Amino acid sequence: MSFSNAVKAIFIKDLVGEFRIKQTLSAQICLGVLIAWVFRIATEAAPVGTAVTAAAVLLVAILFSAILTGERSFAVEQQNDCISALLLAPVDAGDIYIGKLLVNIAMLCIFEIVVVPVVFVLFKVSVSGNWLQLVTVLILANIGVSSIGTLLGPVVQAARAANSLLSILMMAALCPLMIPVIFALLLLFGAIVAESVGAGTLAVVGDFKTAAGFLTAFDAIFVTVCWLLFGFVAGE
Amino acid sequence: MRKLLLGLSSCLILISGPLSLTVASVQPLCRNIVYIHVPAALCSLACFCVLFICSIQYLRGLPQGGVPEKAQKWDYIAAASAEVGLVFATVLNATGSVFARAEWGVWWTPSPRLISSAALWFLYVAYLILRAGFAAERRKGQISAVFGIIAFIDVPLVLISARFVRDIHRPGFSFETGWQYAALGLAVCGTLLLAAMLIWIRTDILKIEKRFNQ
Repeated sequence: MSFSNAVKAIFIKDLVGEFRIKQTLSAQICLGVLIAWVFRIATEAAPVGTAVTAAAVLLVAILFSAILTGERSFAVEQQNDCISALLLAPVDAGDIYIGKLLVNIAMLCIFEIVVVPVVFVLFKVSVSGNWLQLVTVLILANIGVSSIGTLLGPVVQAARAANSLLSILMMAALCPLMIPVIFALLLLFGAIVAESVGAGTLAVVGDFKTAAGFLTAFDAIFVTVCWLLFGFVAGE
Repeated sequence: MRKLLLGLSSCLILISGPLSLTVASVQPLCRNIVYIHVPAALCSLACFCVLFICSIQYLRGLPQGGVPEKAQKWDYIAAASAEVGLVFATVLNATGSVFARAEWGVWWTPSPRLISSAALWFLYVAYLILRAGFAAERRKGQISAVFGIIAFIDVPLVLISARFVRDIHRPGFSFETGWQYAALGLAVCGTLLLAAMLIWIRTDILKIEKRFNQ
């Protein structure tokens, strides 16, 4: 089976499956809205710049959502031992990774379509005129966090089978890997939000182009490395 | 051999200690922490390099099914270097924190080097958590090796990304006398030897543990 066929087959299979049961998406969106809501209440307690908090809230929501999606995309394969069939199929493990990665990116995009407006409404932020920048940032970030989330999804999943507390711990353990994405994102959100609202900027230096370039480089490096290494974690 | 190594590293560190308090002392006194801080930083980075190389070697030497003795050895060295690296990363962050309090009045603040060293610590912890999560030798080795590789690639990226944040490190002080360079050099060499020996011992302990459990 050629690369494009295999990737396409996995992509369609997973998306159709997800739209039928709507398990991951609903959990993701629930989590995202809850995070935004809790932080909104918390910021009422202390006077903090709402625009900056909005950026931080989006970051946390995206990060957790990405890890959740990565884990779920392999959890569904455990039913009826689908993972064995997938690994026995005459396709390269890297193709499976790319297929799953695309699904996870798509899911994160759908998640953001719902959660980003919620955050902006809750925190009274407007990005008029900067939509293109915001979308670029979000897509680049989606690729970055999903690349790691998809690679270690089977790992978290396997740990969950053994001990559920451990899997939560592992989800947290994935966060340090995403620090570069977090930074670039924070910088970009800070720039976008501050420009439109005129609120105080985050303590960051640099401009949009540098940060976007860095995010692109991060994505390219991690997608390649994870694609090469996926065969080792997929299980045997 | 191991006793010799231990003796040598102790000698180097013991010579550098009095030196740093006398002829090589840096003013104000709190800056003398540099003789512990810098070697710890170098050691924790060196351990990460060892972890990376061993992870690659492990994955390269892994055939289908089973774990050959040779590949297993790489896995043990990787695990040992992660543990030793964590110790040095802890020392790095603790001394750095004390220094930051004395110099800038804060225990921790988001600044490029502080973020990078904290990230290093967290990556070591994450690696050890992942390792502890799996019982089967082969699965444990594979997953931790993959994590070791991506974590190593992550470190320079963290360093670059952290530069987006304003730096608290003022133009640092520089050494003035040859004694100071000598003391730092001795401390670095001694600590590196100590780290190498600790990795060696820990690897042997892991091997013995494995044999004991069989």
